[in-house]
Amino acid sequence: MKLKKRIFLFVVVFLFFAGKRVYAGLSSVHGFAELDYGIKLSDDNTKRDDFNLLEQRLQLKSIYRFRGDSYLSEKGAVVKLKGDFTVDEYFSGKTNFELREFNLSLTPFDLMDVKLGSQISTWGTGDYLFINDMFPKDYVSFFAGRDDEYLKKPSYAIKTSFYPDITNIDFIIIPYFTPNTHAKGDRLSFFDSFQGGISGTNSDRHIVSVPFQLSNNEYALRIYRNFGSNEAAFYYFQGFDKSPRSYKDESARQLFYERLDVYGASIRGPIASGIGNAEVGYVYSREDSDGNNRLVANSMFKAMAGYTKDLGNDFSVGVQYFIEEILDYDNYEDNLLAADYRFDEFRHLLTNRITKLFKNQTVQLSLFTFFSPSDKDGYARPSISYDISDQWKVTFGANLPWGEDDITEFGQMEKNKNVFTRVRYNF
Amino acid sequence: MRKITILITAIILVLSLAVPAKALTVDEIIDKANLTSYYAGADGMSDVKMTITDSQGRQRFREFRILRLNVKEGAAQKFYIYFKKPSDVAAMTYMVWKQTGRDDDRWLYLPALDLVRRIASSDKRSSFVGSHFVYEDVSGRGVQADVHELVEEIDGLYKIKNTPKESRGVEFKYYFVWIDKQNFMPMKAEYYNAQNKLIRTIEAVEIQDIQGYPTVVKSKTVDLERAGETLMEFSNISYDVGLTDNIFKERYLRKAPSQWIE
Repeated sequence: MKLKKRIFLFVVVFLFFAGKRVYAGLSSVHGFAELDYGIKLSDDNTKRDDFNLLEQRLQLKSIYRFRGDSYLSEKGAVVKLKGDFTVDEYFSGKTNFELREFNLSLTPFDLMDVKLGSQISTWGTGDYLFINDMFPKDYVSFFAGRDDEYLKKPSYAIKTSFYPDITNIDFIIIPYFTPNTHAKGDRLSFFDSFQGGISGTNSDRHIVSVPFQLSNNEYALRIYRNFGSNEAAFYYFQGFDKSPRSYKDESARQLFYERLDVYGASIRGPIASGIGNAEVGYVYSREDSDGNNRLVANSMFKAMAGYTKDLGNDFSVGVQYFIEEILDYDNYEDNLLAADYRFDEFRHLLTNRITKLFKNQTVQLSLFTFFSPSDKDGYARPSISYDISDQWKVTFGANLPWGEDDITEFGQMEKNKNVFTRVRYNF
Repeated sequence: MRKITILITAIILVLSLAVPAKALTVDEIIDKANLTSYYAGADGMSDVKMTITDSQGRQRFREFRILRLNVKEGAAQKFYIYFKKPSDVAAMTYMVWKQTGRDDDRWLYLPALDLVRRIASSDKRSSFVGSHFVYEDVSGRGVQADVHELVEEIDGLYKIKNTPKESRGVEFKYYFVWIDKQNFMPMKAEYYNAQNKLIRTIEAVEIQDIQGYPTVVKSKTVDLERAGETLMEFSNISYDVGLTDNIFKERYLRKAPSQWIE
């Protein structure tokens, strides 16, 4: 849909749901206006050398609860609407509208909820690490220094939840594929295997999208319950890799999102006066189940364990260990060509989060670090934010990825180091 | 003989009337006060408005709906909080399973990320939502956490000195609490540091009878060390509304129960 048409539609729908209240004093329309500015610390081959983030953002959101005698009101129906208008100076003042949420949720039966439409979905136990959360993410926002909110992208989905006594079940059908947003060389540089190194605007690879058709529906299932204070969950996902890790046609520089299934489980609960969590996942690569196809990503095993502790005085620390194994590695190695880039069989990753609050929790100092001893790369995300008032908030931070090799997850982002500031006015 | 019988009966009568009032031990007073202030009814709900004033007089506001269910009187409880203001936290939900004998279980739901976060909760003396009230002021400090001494009885109040059994993680050395002898409502508390300097006060500014339960509708705490205060005002209070255990689950963290938060 053309941008203008999308904006028009949003405004119409927004006024329809929020209209009555808009006139009643803007009480139910909230959001924020924000200015983001990220100064680049290193040179690369992207569109701009001096900054990689400069944008204004206006977020509007509203919640509408149906009332009266209608079926929808009886079933507790709620419409949520949230969208961002942006002016992106990185792309010379390009305006855009991003629909974040537009969904209807209701409780048709006592033990069942339904949520329909554009929605953000999250599950699993990791902190910035995802094994069973196969919902789309925006890593450009993550590395450029936008708010955490923008790491998660909405999907067009039908979510059905069941709550019998014995266990809870979430079942999500995603008819319309949404991939992760990754660096592609315009704003953020990255490792482009076709270029043989870190690339910017010189990258000209093509990613084959997943067409909208019934056989391309994605399905995500979570079965979970509490055992006392401990939470246990099983997960199943059938769909596509959200990142283009497989090659369709090398000579045409084409990549695609290969099909995969994920089977997983997690637990989370209090342990040693903190919170412990553990999660595992087996990723089954449908189109390369024995690992013999060098063009398609292999099956994988992933596991992580984490621990968070509150040390008092608003000071908390969290650590995580994550391991990823390429399965059928012998077949993978045997089929690689001499010129192919080779990934290690195992990838180990450690993360650390330190948070300290000051001045009645209005000042937040935070540091999140990733470090992989096997890939010899890492990523530090320090930030400080200050809630000047209930309305004004200012954040300073930095994105500092580094690595010895260009090919690794954080090493390829090395040229995107920035320091950023965000100034937000909430209303 | 008859006179003696009457006399004995009279003595017994007098004693039996007098004994209950006299015989309340300090622990019994504290137990009653704990029940009065945190366990009224089988459940309860209220809207809360917090006005947080810092040392420079700048004000911030918090508005939320709180739901409470007693699991076991004087012990385990469940709380559900739905934030309404300010707008950056609106629609956030927070759930606490208050435990006795171990750390509480706490969850926070961030709607923008659809993220249910588990909160490590060993520190009960940290600020509650950025106010000058600490977490324990809202959910109650375990009666077993302190040694209690009845200091005096004046103006219809018990004045009780409370000294923590475990000083680690507690910012005060001891505190006094004044409890109404009639309804066992704590009216005032004063916290002192190791130098016997008053560092903090909490005061029940206004009490109303709601459905037969004495209820604090306005409460104020003052931080004398760093200067600053928070006023907490309760409205739309009701008890025994029929909350059930299943509201205090992940389902309603993610999807606020319309029936209870409107």
